[in-house]
Amino acid sequence: MKRLLIILSIVILAGCSTAVPVQRHFPDVPEDMKQNCPEIKLIPPGTTKLSEAVEVISENYGSYNECRVKIDAWIEWYSTQQKIFDSVK
Amino acid sequence: MWQFQWMLSLIPDAILNWIYWAIIAVGLTGMIASWVGRLIPFYGKYAGILKPIGIALVILGVWLRGGYDVEMAWKAKAADLESKVAVSEQKSKDANEQLNNALKGKTKVIHDVQVVVKEHIVHDASVIDAECKLAPEAVKDLNEAASNKIGDVK
Repeated sequence: MKRLLIILSIVILAGCSTAVPVQRHFPDVPEDMKQNCPEIKLIPPGTTKLSEAVEVISENYGSYNECRVKIDAWIEWYSTQQKIFDSVK
Repeated sequence: MWQFQWMLSLIPDAILNWIYWAIIAVGLTGMIASWVGRLIPFYGKYAGILKPIGIALVILGVWLRGGYDVEMAWKAKAADLESKVAVSEQKSKDANEQLNNALKGKTKVIHDVQVVVKEHIVHDASVIDAECKLAPEAVKDLNEAASNKIGDVK
């Protein structure tokens, strides 16, 4: 009788069992976006030629532009992925 | 508990449905038999036992059948959500690919422009240096501005 009651209670409780197998993965980020921004280059001390300074400065401008594009990409990535994430309800 | 749930999960849903209906049917039959059984002389003494068993089986069957419906509803919701998640993951990958291509394109343009600018500087070096000599103070000030260590602050 005891065994019967135990089995019966297990069967009754099993009526409430539910399984939620849905899993969501954190979205990937393109590898290029994971790289750090380059360091700013310094003008070699003792430089007297303006053209050499201009060259270093223009390289730094290039680094900035590259970094800006990367930051813009992060902003776009976040807003796009957020929209996609929120669309699943 | 999970072992029992696992064992139940091995049984196909349609068969589980039939089992639950069978429990209800057996319970109802037991209840009816207990009422009818009173009228049968040799069977009457067992009728009293059949009634509580029948009621218990009906309650159990209805409970399990209700649980089955809830389970099916959840499974349907989970399947729907899984398909939505699969679509969103594909969208996410597509968006990443598009973004990566755009990023590579823009970076390439920046590099190309840099190469051209560098060529211009080399070409114009004599003109740039002709009338201007860079003071060491200018180099020092520019380097100070460039080596701003605010990025290293943790």
